[in-house]
Amino acid sequence: MPSLDEPPNRVITVLGLLALVLVWVLDLGTVQPNRIVPGTGYGLFAAAGWLGAVTVSAGLCVLMALAVLPLRRRYTLLGILLTLALAALPDLLVIFTSAHLPKDSPYARTAVGAGFWSLLFLLVLMLIEVVGRLRIGRRGQLGILVVILAGWALLIRQGGLDSLSLMREFSNRPDQFLQALWAHLALALGAVAISFVLAFALVLKMMRSEAWRRPVFGVVSFLQTIPSLALFGLLIAPLSALTAAFPLLQSLGIRGIGWAPALLALIAYSLLPMVRNTFVALTEVPEAVIDAGRGMGMTERQLFLQARLPLAIPVIIEGVRITAIQAMGLTAVAALIGAGGFGTFIFQGLGQAAMDLVMLGALPTIGLAIAADVVLSTLANALQPRPAAALPQ
Amino acid sequence: MIELKNVTRRFGQTVAVDHIDLTVETGEVCVLVGSSGCGKSTTLRMINRLLPASSGEILVDGEDVTGMDLQRLRLNMGYAIQGTGLFPHWSVARNIALVPRLLKWPKERIDARVTELLQMLEMDPASFADKYPQQLSGGQAQRVGVARALAADPNILLMDEPFGALDAITRENLQLEMLRLQRQLKKTTVFVTHDIDEALRLATRIAVMDQGRIVQHDTPENILRRPASDFVENLVGKQDRGLKLMALRPVRDLMTPHDKPRPAEPGADGLKEDDSLRLALSVMLWQDLRQVAVFDHQGNETGVLLRERLIEGGV
Repeated sequence: MPSLDEPPNRVITVLGLLALVLVWVLDLGTVQPNRIVPGTGYGLFAAAGWLGAVTVSAGLCVLMALAVLPLRRRYTLLGILLTLALAALPDLLVIFTSAHLPKDSPYARTAVGAGFWSLLFLLVLMLIEVVGRLRIGRRGQLGILVVILAGWALLIRQGGLDSLSLMREFSNRPDQFLQALWAHLALALGAVAISFVLAFALVLKMMRSEAWRRPVFGVVSFLQTIPSLALFGLLIAPLSALTAAFPLLQSLGIRGIGWAPALLALIAYSLLPMVRNTFVALTEVPEAVIDAGRGMGMTERQLFLQARLPLAIPVIIEGVRITAIQAMGLTAVAALIGAGGFGTFIFQGLGQAAMDLVMLGALPTIGLAIAADVVLSTLANALQPRPAAALPQ
Repeated sequence: MIELKNVTRRFGQTVAVDHIDLTVETGEVCVLVGSSGCGKSTTLRMINRLLPASSGEILVDGEDVTGMDLQRLRLNMGYAIQGTGLFPHWSVARNIALVPRLLKWPKERIDARVTELLQMLEMDPASFADKYPQQLSGGQAQRVGVARALAADPNILLMDEPFGALDAITRENLQLEMLRLQRQLKKTTVFVTHDIDEALRLATRIAVMDQGRIVQHDTPENILRRPASDFVENLVGKQDRGLKLMALRPVRDLMTPHDKPRPAEPGADGLKEDDSLRLALSVMLWQDLRQVAVFDHQGNETGVLLRERLIEGGV
């Protein structure tokens, strides 16, 4: 029987205290007269007024109180409160903007300050702690995420955040953004798909003949050690030479710079995690299982399809997951050789010292990596060869 | 019947099995016993061609295995190994159904057979059929391993240290179970173990192996009474041979029967006819008895066993 009072939670208390300090010490937001000039910062009280400041401080105090008071449903209450707080958090920015953005200046914009980021980050950490304590399953986690994102989407639709410089950068180039999204996805997912097929073929070969194992692992590990920028650069010369020699390639859109070298480099990087996981997954199936199956008259083909593959699939997908996350990030660098994608914004922003343009490239890149993680680990879970209920305690 | 004629197996320069001849008669249990690395597992694995023989002939019911279709050969031989080798992603029922499915039996026949086998091994089909191997205890998993080997009712059983990884009590239970099943099914069995007590208990005949050769092939009693070499003598244990011999014989052999069975008095203590003489001696020593009553399966007293008789004629 569970005890009536769950013990107080120190993690949430500490995080709450830290949030309370940081949100008062750091700037909640800044107002910039234009895109380049650094703006003036506003603290919590100045930015959100006394009502906002009291709400935020009181909210944090309530969270801490819930964490230490003797309560039965401590974590359920905390979970609900944290989800709502996160969903409503951008309202702070709306209040800030409406109070401080000069109405007459078309170039003026607001930017998110360190205080806001800290608050967001610490609230997310608290929510993660609560989700862990409540043992919320994957569906519940997705539900919470949807509630929070829906809150944000609603605000963005209502236009409350239009003057945020991040939103300004976006609304200046919605077409480019969409184009970058597709280019990024096509490059990263294309590289993952092609390297998966390549890796699978290589592993099948390695399983049949031992002589292939060391050289293949040697080559893919070596490829992984080349710095990404160097690899992108190194491919320019040979590809240019190739296209000069075979004009047909040129008509296919293959050139020394652009998507072709980027795709090649991404595939090269994806091979190591893909080959390693696939190989380990397929060869680490317990020898006794294979021996018993073979001894009872299964053919090698039946053994592969009915024993090795189903037992290996979660580990293989784990390899795809690692590769996909890595490829999403690396694709950003590929913008340097003209491959497009969100990296374009990052490097443009760096060149123009416009940090919010950098953000416009960086945030979606992170978002894509997280999405790849969520989708693929859900898939790996769903493809576990035995029902989760049957797993040993 | 399984016949090995002058069979040799080499791994590179080393000779694992060295020109052995061995005949396993239909329906008998042949136990290959010896220390690790003596070639007993290699010998077993050559019978279903998991390892090809380097030279020599292996005949199953008179037919050379080298010429036979590999799948047909193996599907006709039950195979159980140490650590079970159950498929971790399949339920107990699906594991047992492995060979019948490979033989494309109709579904109803497979289901009926799985239920029958689970009952035969004293596992409740309703509670075990849908479990997964990692939810079973070691003994239960090994029972399923044996059920899987018996599934398609093969003529031959190959068992490679099936009880090797189990604790002593579970192992003994499974050995008794094996004996019971074997009396019922009479499979031609080749059983590999390094445990001489297991060999003495289960075997019709024991083949003692050392360094790739069979040093003695005989009944358990003869192995104990007339060991062919110092190696065999050491293996069976020089000093406690007497007790081991007693363990081979049932109480029935030496008891003084009553004229007709008497109903037992309630709470009466005693031995069963099938108990070994060794157990009888132990009971007598512990309880300081000069004689002990013997009961049959119905619980009727059928005779008594006298201490003098046991000491004089036990070995």
